[in-house]
Amino acid sequence: MPREIALGDALVPGLLVFFVLALLLLWLLDGIAGRLGLYRLVWHPPLFRLAVFVCVFGAFALFMF
Amino acid sequence: MSATGLQNATPDTRQIVVETLREEVNVWLFVVKTLIAFFLTGWLAMRLDLPAPSTAMLTTVIVANRQSGMVLAKSFYRAIGTLAGATAAIAIVAAFPQERDLFLLALSLWIGVCAGGATLYRNFKSYAFVLGGYTAAIVAIPVIDNPPGVFDSSWARISEVLLGLMVSGLVNDIVFPSRMRDVLRRAAREQFAGFVGFVRDSTGGSIARDTMEKAHLRFVRAAVTLEDLRSSVIFEDAEARARSNHLRLFNQRFMAASTSFQSLHHLINRLKRAQRDLAADTLIRLYAPIGEALDAPIEAGAAARVLLPRLVSARDTMRASVPGLRASLSDSQDVRDFDTGASLLTRFVDELHGYVDAAASLQTPRVIAGSAERVRFDRGNDFLGAGLATFRTTLTMLVLGAFWIYSAWPLGSSAMLLATVFAGLFATIPNPTRVTWQVMLGYLSGMAVGFICEFLLLTQVDGYGLLVVCVAPFLALGLVMMMTQRLAFYGLGWAMGFAYILSLKNVQVYDPAHFINDAIAQVVGLGAAAVSFVVIPPAIGSAWLRRRQLARLRGQVALAAEAPLPGLRHRFESVNYDLVSQVVAQTQPGSADSRSLIAWALAVHETGRALIELRHDMARGDVPPTLRPYLDDALRTLARFYEKPDAAGYLLARDAVATAIASVGEHEGVAHLLEHLHLVRMALLDGESVLAAYMPDASLTKDIAHAS
Repeated sequence: MPREIALGDALVPGLLVFFVLALLLLWLLDGIAGRLGLYRLVWHPPLFRLAVFVCVFGAFALFMF
Repeated sequence: MSATGLQNATPDTRQIVVETLREEVNVWLFVVKTLIAFFLTGWLAMRLDLPAPSTAMLTTVIVANRQSGMVLAKSFYRAIGTLAGATAAIAIVAAFPQERDLFLLALSLWIGVCAGGATLYRNFKSYAFVLGGYTAAIVAIPVIDNPPGVFDSSWARISEVLLGLMVSGLVNDIVFPSRMRDVLRRAAREQFAGFVGFVRDSTGGSIARDTMEKAHLRFVRAAVTLEDLRSSVIFEDAEARARSNHLRLFNQRFMAASTSFQSLHHLINRLKRAQRDLAADTLIRLYAPIGEALDAPIEAGAAARVLLPRLVSARDTMRASVPGLRASLSDSQDVRDFDTGASLLTRFVDELHGYVDAAASLQTPRVIAGSAERVRFDRGNDFLGAGLATFRTTLTMLVLGAFWIYSAWPLGSSAMLLATVFAGLFATIPNPTRVTWQVMLGYLSGMAVGFICEFLLLTQVDGYGLLVVCVAPFLALGLVMMMTQRLAFYGLGWAMGFAYILSLKNVQVYDPAHFINDAIAQVVGLGAAAVSFVVIPPAIGSAWLRRRQLARLRGQVALAAEAPLPGLRHRFESVNYDLVSQVVAQTQPGSADSRSLIAWALAVHETGRALIELRHDMARGDVPPTLRPYLDDALRTLARFYEKPDAAGYLLARDAVATAIASVGEHEGVAHLLEHLHLVRMALLDGESVLAAYMPDASLTKDIAHAS
């Protein structure tokens, strides 16, 4: 199951790379949402943030298969 | 005042019970959250087949904190530190794969530099440095016999540490979060209400020096706390991040306004002491409209905006009354003092208006994007103290490494690792020897309990659920102790020792001999860290560092007099506040050290600000070339005097300022410079200030009369 990605000929667990990328994307989305005040429309912002992260990470993981 | 009345009232029994229960609930909430994070991390790490789930689990213990914003902030910096450490480890292994001496030397240096960097920061950035050192050690040391394994080792450690950080961050963010944002909001509101209230209450007349010093301390704490909170909250709350610049601006304006306010009151106090009541009273009368304008309820939501138009009209009233009040004074000295005070007052009201404006824009529900001026909060760091920490940690690592090489001790790596963690973690606290000792005791008891748990309980059970049941009670005990004041470090040692020594993995190994050997190595590592703190005592909290910080604080006047002007105001204020708060945190309140510090801080603040304003005015208008040398001379001698205070320097500075005042008087159209110079001169001649020690024995009253 673990697929690996070659970074400069060193094999790196793909899941870890996508995890870091997903975190970066979340950071970006989070900043935009905070700037526009979108979190005011949500009941439990951290839970919402987690849900968004799961979506992003899940979507990234599709690249592996 | 109403505040004292509240404190005197005895709280009823019900209130006490509720308070106690709330405290207990907080403690148990912390324990439950940490346990959830611990076991969830372990389960995930085992599911993902990571080689050392115990590393991930140990990480959750290290980041455990009551405030969720803290956990996120910590986690963010720790993640950065982890990545940097792993990169360094790969570089070091790649550079010296065959040379163990050079390898250990490079690793020790890296760890030392990280420990030194950790002492430079008072927020969670210091964790990034600690983790940078620690991760390099845990990646590189196990593969010392097998250099090609460094990639696998580093990826495994990064995955484990990141997993631990992620899970504990999530658990703390989602399960009953206790929000730092609320603390920040309360701090900002208290700062605002406190300052506005103080200004309003003191319009009546002079304030005693004592009250002034206390108020100054309170303002310093408020400013630095707000900055520390801000730097953590931005990780917790995206909206707070969007407002981060506004908050900074708010804080900077607060510092500026409080400095001007203090200068104003020092001026009034001095006039009163010199029996110049007429001038002082006229100033107080001029200042009365401000008090009336601020006399509005400030607890309500949109309060700050309500104050703005009132302040503007008060400023207009004040400006209109200046000529009338000025005309009522007949003595030329009184008029000059009044002019100085009036310009100071105008400055203060402008700054107060800016401060209230910043508060109002913070309170608006919508984020006004990009409208805030960019400002920085500069820190007053001491690089020699950091150098000391670097030296100490490197030395410890080298000694341990040499011992490891010459004794061929199989578990030397284990000892080195633990020494790395604690040398870094405790380099930033004031009394590391005692703390390390406590942690060591806790660590020992944790490991003893771990022995019981591993060999008597875990051997009997099967499956992850039962493992949780067996492990949780022992760990919970340590976590509860972490939350008590007295046993906090003992509990930390307990929880870490316990979590480490169990070294849970997918296929658990039960080997008592290895267990005991490892435990001995751990104690040796901790002992080495403790001894290193005795041999090279940390700079933090020592008289030596305090003297250096005091010298740095005085040097701020030189900065004000000579540094390039753009951004200088903010830089001066924030470094001042940071330095004062550092020294205050490290001294006993009310001790001689603390009092002399505050006395110096007041003098530096007042003179420095006046010099900066003077230089701004000099840069703005044309200063006649015949006048400029005198002004420059005054600036230079003042800077030298504050850098190295002595009686001779004092006389030079005093005379230089007097000459500058006299020569300003001889030129046309530069009268606006006079006010700042007067302020500096009066601060120099204040018999109650810290500068009194350098004055020649002359009659104080006469001197002040001369000055004005």
